[in-house]
Amino acid sequence: MKVVKDALVLAAGVLFLSLPGPCALRAQNLQNAQLLNPPADTWPLYHGDYSGRRHSKLTQITPQNVASLSLSWAFQTGQTAEIKASPLLVDGILYFTVPDNIWAIDARSGHQVWHYNRPATKGDHIGHRGVAMLKDWLYFTTPDDHLISLDAKDGAVRWDQVIADVDKGYWTTMAPLVVGNHVMVGSSGDMDNLPGLIRAFDAETGSPQWQWNSTPPTGTPNGTTGGMAWMTGTYDPQLNLTYWGTGNPTPVLNGTTRPGDNLYTCSIVAINPDTGKLAWAFQPSPHDTHDWDAVETPVLVDGNFHGHPRKMLMQASRNGYFFVLDRTNGKSLLTVPFGPVNWTLGVDAQGRPIPNPAKEPAPDGRLIAPDEGGLTNFRAPSFDPKTGLFIVDAHPSYSLYFAKPADGNYGWAGADYGLWGKGVIEAIDYQTGKIRWSHDVGKWGSGAGIMTTDSGLTIVGDGFGNLLALDTANGKTLWHVGTGAPIQSSPISYLLDGRQYIVTSSGGVLFAWALPQGMIAAKPAAKTSH
Amino acid sequence: MKKVRVAALLAAVATGILGFQAIQTPIHAASASAESALAHQADNQSPPNAGAESYARHCAICHGDQREGILPAFPPLIGIAHQKTGDQIAEIIHSGKGRMPGFPTLQSEELQALLHFLTSSAPSTPEATAGASAADSSALAEAGGSLFLQNCAFCHGRDAMGGESGPDLTQSELVLSDATGEKISAVVLSGRPANKMPVFKFSSHEIDSLVAFIRARTATAASQKGGRRGVAVADLQTGDAQAGMRYFNGAGGCAKCHSPSGDLAGIATRYKGLQLEERMLYPEDATSKVTVTLPSGQRISGTLAYLDEFTVGLRDKDGVYKSWSTKAVKYTVDSPVDAHVDMFSKYSDDDIHNLMAYIQTLR
Repeated sequence: MKVVKDALVLAAGVLFLSLPGPCALRAQNLQNAQLLNPPADTWPLYHGDYSGRRHSKLTQITPQNVASLSLSWAFQTGQTAEIKASPLLVDGILYFTVPDNIWAIDARSGHQVWHYNRPATKGDHIGHRGVAMLKDWLYFTTPDDHLISLDAKDGAVRWDQVIADVDKGYWTTMAPLVVGNHVMVGSSGDMDNLPGLIRAFDAETGSPQWQWNSTPPTGTPNGTTGGMAWMTGTYDPQLNLTYWGTGNPTPVLNGTTRPGDNLYTCSIVAINPDTGKLAWAFQPSPHDTHDWDAVETPVLVDGNFHGHPRKMLMQASRNGYFFVLDRTNGKSLLTVPFGPVNWTLGVDAQGRPIPNPAKEPAPDGRLIAPDEGGLTNFRAPSFDPKTGLFIVDAHPSYSLYFAKPADGNYGWAGADYGLWGKGVIEAIDYQTGKIRWSHDVGKWGSGAGIMTTDSGLTIVGDGFGNLLALDTANGKTLWHVGTGAPIQSSPISYLLDGRQYIVTSSGGVLFAWALPQGMIAAKPAAKTSH
Repeated sequence: MKKVRVAALLAAVATGILGFQAIQTPIHAASASAESALAHQADNQSPPNAGAESYARHCAICHGDQREGILPAFPPLIGIAHQKTGDQIAEIIHSGKGRMPGFPTLQSEELQALLHFLTSSAPSTPEATAGASAADSSALAEAGGSLFLQNCAFCHGRDAMGGESGPDLTQSELVLSDATGEKISAVVLSGRPANKMPVFKFSSHEIDSLVAFIRARTATAASQKGGRRGVAVADLQTGDAQAGMRYFNGAGGCAKCHSPSGDLAGIATRYKGLQLEERMLYPEDATSKVTVTLPSGQRISGTLAYLDEFTVGLRDKDGVYKSWSTKAVKYTVDSPVDAHVDMFSKYSDDDIHNLMAYIQTLR
């Protein structure tokens, strides 16, 4: 095998003598098998793997030595756009984004390999969450709602497809999900009354494969619109189902023109990646009137639930409830709030919160917990298998919600105002929903996205811009560093040259952290899969 | 062509997004040489589309086919004659500015044709130079709309009428009272950290375009019968002032800290409507006191200025900022405003409306 590889490299060298440096000879080739079982020296998917647990099997950085963690390099985008992306790491190259921009960075040095910029004048530039990759190709979404495939070696565009019509009010921020030969993407667009959608495109040719609509066409009598899927889904290869959260219904704060549950808005949906057919759906927020998208990561965990082995799906949802479902059929196993919520009359037999009509937005205002940003939002949670803790960036908060007939029934159709909030990192026991520990991260703010490691570390940030390493067992701070701006992304980790890196961002800067070279054992760490 | 354009944009953007300096020189009388150059051009009758062709060849790649600009990176050139003299434009064309490259070989007849094209076509007719004409301000508002959509719409709504977490700007007192655009400019350039409004480093021309867009939206909103999103003072009059007074003195516990004849005297003349209700529920500018005890036993008190789990900072009575590692000292925070947080889980909506009715009587 080694001989064959060397021969190929030699052949490549002969063919491309003019290319500078050994990097040019590397194959940036990411196979489906690696997506299904990512090697330790990669972070090839938005969540690191298909499960959405954002948990690294790496153990070089430990609670005992994390105090020595130090900066390996920083990369400055030089832009005011905040990095909200989760980078990918494949063959020593990091790929990350802000709206309209992709950077390929050498993960050893932090220097730029290439930069792609596509000035798009249309579409919301609120944030961008990263690229997806398969074989030698990247997949990138744009504010004007295109899906673009680029050559990973130089950023050259291969094909460009429209996902949805920006002129109607759609835009995208999402990192696509690649399964097999499908590149799956959703869209944003709740400032207009538009149906939500998930689409699949052929990974090679870009041809559309299927489209699933979360809501009926605009104008359907008594129908809802909305249900935008704007966060990257997860995937169970055994069941061959992808899992997605959908967003709020529209009009957003005025529910009078859309009676009933408003399926499939604020829902967790299981969709077959080959056919686009819905297998099941569960609705965290029936008839939402508070903008509480249920798009937060559907985390897939195989384990014991109350004494029985289960294939579970867990979501800490923006509406303030933590859900555990059986992901084979969408049936509820647990529904429990993880912070202050005051908008329900309880939980129904199917495990869905029952919205209190008296807490719908009103002309003279209603006091609502949580606020419109929700008890959590796009920042990733993490599941730690050893402790059974689901760790989430929570935002206990209160706000006032208003809506009156004069606000109409298009788009926002009301107004809401945050009164108070704070950031808390919470460790939820998935068996009971009880909060095992919580760690305050500051008034007003939110923390960062979360990653746990097999060595017992929880990597997160506070609302002031401190990057924190916590002890997963008890939430105590073991290490911190001020990064200069609140952290809007979720950490990743990988092994490179036998050294474990943790990559984070704040503002427009990407940081790579590692133990000092001298502390790392001479023998190269074994290549383990995770 | 497409490929060349992308490559050029890439090169330009790579040098920094905000390099282009705003066009803000006031209009003075155009210099004699520019005047004569334009007159010369007019007399000599080059092919009528020579200027447009030159523009398409050299300028459109960044400034757009219709001179609309590609905001926020590249400024629109529509109405450039209102801001620059012919000489100034020629100087920029030859020398470049910020990250705009210079075109020193663009000379004589082609330069004259290009200047003529830039300064004399429809959006910048001679009448328009007298002031902001309707056509010009609408072009400016259109450019501002593009900028607004990319940067502001997520919070303030695509139509500036409020959206996810941001207020309705068409009803904003600040916007309505800002005759010159200075107040809007100040908020955009400085942000409002307490309200989560970020800083935007726009050029003055970009700010002008945003102001024009917000004004256009305000005018449109004012002419609409429905669809307004916001909270009027009249919306907040459903409570019972007597019940509110009882709550103030009783279950609400407000009287423990506040007095209608003391700190709250005249509060309803200083604030009204939603702003008053928000302050009533949580006055976000309330300060806390902190006392720090040093290892020596010395105690230092002041206004809490910063507190995370690693650092505590205060401003002392002279306004001097001091900070310590939280591990090195002991500190106690006195934060009376926390009583408002404790109340959130206890209020009914009626309590809030009654209290609001009572507070509004404190004039």
